[in-house]
Amino acid sequence: MQRNNKQRQPRFRAKAEHSFAALFCLWILLAVAPITQAQTVEQEIGSGSLTVRDDQGRAIDAPRMETAVRMKVSGIVARVEVSQRFHNESDAWVEGVYAFPLPEHSAVDTLRMKIGERIVVGEIREKEQAQKIFEQARQQGQRASVVHQQRPNLFRTAVANIGPGETIEIVIGYLQIVDQDAGRYSLRFPLTITPRYIPGVDVNTEARLTSETPIAALTLAVPGDDTATLGDLQPRLAHAHPQRQSVSMEIDIDAGAPMEHITSPYHPILVDATERGAQIKLRNQQSPPDRDFELSWAPVVKSEPAIALFREPTDQGEHVLLMFMPPQESRPINTPREVIFVIDTSGSMSGESINQARAALMNGLRTLQPADRFTVIQFNSVHEALFDEPVSASEENLSRAQRYVRNLHATGGTEMLPALLTALSMPESREHLRQVIFITDAAVGNEDQLMLAIRQQLGSARLFTVGIGSAPNGHFLRNAARTGRGTFTYIGSIDEVESKMTALLNKLTSPVLTDIELNWPAGVVPEYAPASIGDLYAGEPIVVTARLQSPAKGTLSISGRTNGTWTRQISLNGMQPRTGVASLWARNRIGDLMDSRANGATDDSIRGSVLPLALQYQLVSNYTSLVAVDRTPARPDGESLHSRRIPNTKPNGLDWPAEGVPSTATPAQLNFAIGALLLLAALGWQLRERRLQRRQPQ
Amino acid sequence: MKRNWTPIAIVAVAALGLWQVASGAYIHAKAWLAQELIASAWTRTLEGEREVKPWPWADTWPIARLQMIDKDVDLYVLADASGRSLAFGPGYVNGTAAIGDGNTVLAGHRDTHFAFLRDLQPGDEFAIQTADGRERRFQLNETHVIDSRHQRLQFDENVDATITLLTCYPFDAITPGGPLRYVAVAGIK
Repeated sequence: MQRNNKQRQPRFRAKAEHSFAALFCLWILLAVAPITQAQTVEQEIGSGSLTVRDDQGRAIDAPRMETAVRMKVSGIVARVEVSQRFHNESDAWVEGVYAFPLPEHSAVDTLRMKIGERIVVGEIREKEQAQKIFEQARQQGQRASVVHQQRPNLFRTAVANIGPGETIEIVIGYLQIVDQDAGRYSLRFPLTITPRYIPGVDVNTEARLTSETPIAALTLAVPGDDTATLGDLQPRLAHAHPQRQSVSMEIDIDAGAPMEHITSPYHPILVDATERGAQIKLRNQQSPPDRDFELSWAPVVKSEPAIALFREPTDQGEHVLLMFMPPQESRPINTPREVIFVIDTSGSMSGESINQARAALMNGLRTLQPADRFTVIQFNSVHEALFDEPVSASEENLSRAQRYVRNLHATGGTEMLPALLTALSMPESREHLRQVIFITDAAVGNEDQLMLAIRQQLGSARLFTVGIGSAPNGHFLRNAARTGRGTFTYIGSIDEVESKMTALLNKLTSPVLTDIELNWPAGVVPEYAPASIGDLYAGEPIVVTARLQSPAKGTLSISGRTNGTWTRQISLNGMQPRTGVASLWARNRIGDLMDSRANGATDDSIRGSVLPLALQYQLVSNYTSLVAVDRTPARPDGESLHSRRIPNTKPNGLDWPAEGVPSTATPAQLNFAIGALLLLAALGWQLRERRLQRRQPQ
Repeated sequence: MKRNWTPIAIVAVAALGLWQVASGAYIHAKAWLAQELIASAWTRTLEGEREVKPWPWADTWPIARLQMIDKDVDLYVLADASGRSLAFGPGYVNGTAAIGDGNTVLAGHRDTHFAFLRDLQPGDEFAIQTADGRERRFQLNETHVIDSRHQRLQFDENVDATITLLTCYPFDAITPGGPLRYVAVAGIK
């Protein structure tokens, strides 16, 4: 009996187990089968490009746009004309709206609209008034254009009533001071916009933007900023397409002497060298505007003292521009450094930018000496510090940091403020020089908040900004470095990381030039812009614009302190007259006034001082715009006008959508499949064991 | 006597299997439960609050509600399309246009929230409510598959409001992380 039972029970159990096994097999078959099925479906659908039609099946194209940039550099001042040609290729009347960046501190003073042979010259007006004039003309069917400033380095043009098949060209002119660093001159021209992240703003609640949108409605929840529009900071991007948007450049440099080492790191150029300078143009005069343009050069002879002094008398007084290269101190400092690296790992850094940022950071880590201390902070939507406070640059800590940096990835938002505050509030050591190195593309819209934080929290630290990517927010990075008493370094490609970071290191380890003072002849009262010169690093020149009540004669003495004090005398009698100096002074002065918001100036008082200045000096500002109207009516009554936003070209190297194509599958299916296989294996094994056990007794 | 480890090994393999099945089930449970929690955050958003986090430690918030009554689809769209957020709901892909202002891209998991995409046909309609309470209706124009290794989403620059729904493809692949994406494009009605 007993034996019988023993034999029967397992047999019964085996039967049940067999049916379970069968069920599992079926499950697995079900899980696997759809894959093969799906693959055939895919072939049927095929892969191809996306075409989207509107309801009527007819799309009205945005005007095609060509940008032509002509620069005339004489000495240290550049006069630039940017021409935007709007081609309307559709059969309807359209309006083109285009947001575009210009170099920071550019003094925009000219607008000309060309329709065929006719030229209409734009006038400077208070912003609201300019918009009103433009809208009125727009409604009456007249051709009109307007230039508004959205951010200090971001502008927007609108051109109304471009007829079917017609081309309208507008020319925007501005002045700019050429950068000089370590004996090299350079000019940057930004060509597109990296979408900016604005904390606390929901993109999806923002209304659509056209030129009809009233100025007041263009506001955004950024404290103290009434000009930003989300549409401009989050531009629609188009892939580089030379037939839709292209740029050409012609640069004429009059240096007064032969030049050498003319380089353009991001665009191939053709150079025609002359006795007094050079003429330069892009090799491809239909380049896609997908990365910033940079040109740098050096004079062949460097031995003479580098002083440039220009004047321009106007009704408002005497204006002076001074550039002076202070004597250089070659001994490096011995104080150990305490370096806080802050790296941006937000979505806008994805693609080529994060590679550059990682390389720059690795390079920065390599420069640390054993006596130095350091930490690394990364930020996107949240921030994280590798070490909660700076640690010694031991081999172990450094290799940990290198591992950390290698694993940085770009994703999420740009919550820069908390990261910056964390960096600035780390406990400071007295024996160390605190240096914060900030590596980012600064694709942010809350610049004012950030500037305020830097001003208030800096302490004795110095902030060095490193701009990354094809189109970083140069205005903010430069201003942040100035406020942070540091320098701004721009790295536009991975090949430059080494040289630019070495140059930065040279600044970090050389003594700083402080206490710069200018002493004018008795009776001269200068109004400086920028109001203070600040500290200078190795290789940086003193650049000052000033307004004087009357022409100055005699000598100007400049003094400063590096390791010891020095003084230089400059004769004011041989000053060269130069047009543009007054505009440059006014632009700097407006910049100072706008920045005074961070020191507590109210919007009304800023407006009260900027508006008359901008109107007097004929400059585009936060409160003034250029408007041009062709009085001849163009668009017949009854024809409607279609407004089209011209997309900005996607910055080269930026993954787009910003975070790349998201991963959109969970591992759930895989979990189920693995789970099923494992359960099946366990079952099979169990069955085998039983069979073996049954055989053993015999 | 030599100890027989076999039964323990079998139990261990079975336990591992059960754990895997549970992990899969957990993903689905989380996807479903999160949407329930987000519902109340959405109600508060419609009442005028901004960036309402559905649970205190959340790092995302709902920005829109996507509904397709006849297919029993009712989803809250989150503010970003990071891996963390997509576990809880479909997400808005940063850098694309705001809803109603050009080409918006929404991404979702092919096996949870966006599993319904496989059943969509051109002509199907869905509604999207944004935080301002406004509801827009969209009609599906077409669907296709792209290979994200060498193809990008192509947009017509000038169309007013388009929603592109994006999910992984094939729908029934077992392993995640493949390069193919299913793209469904809908224009405003």
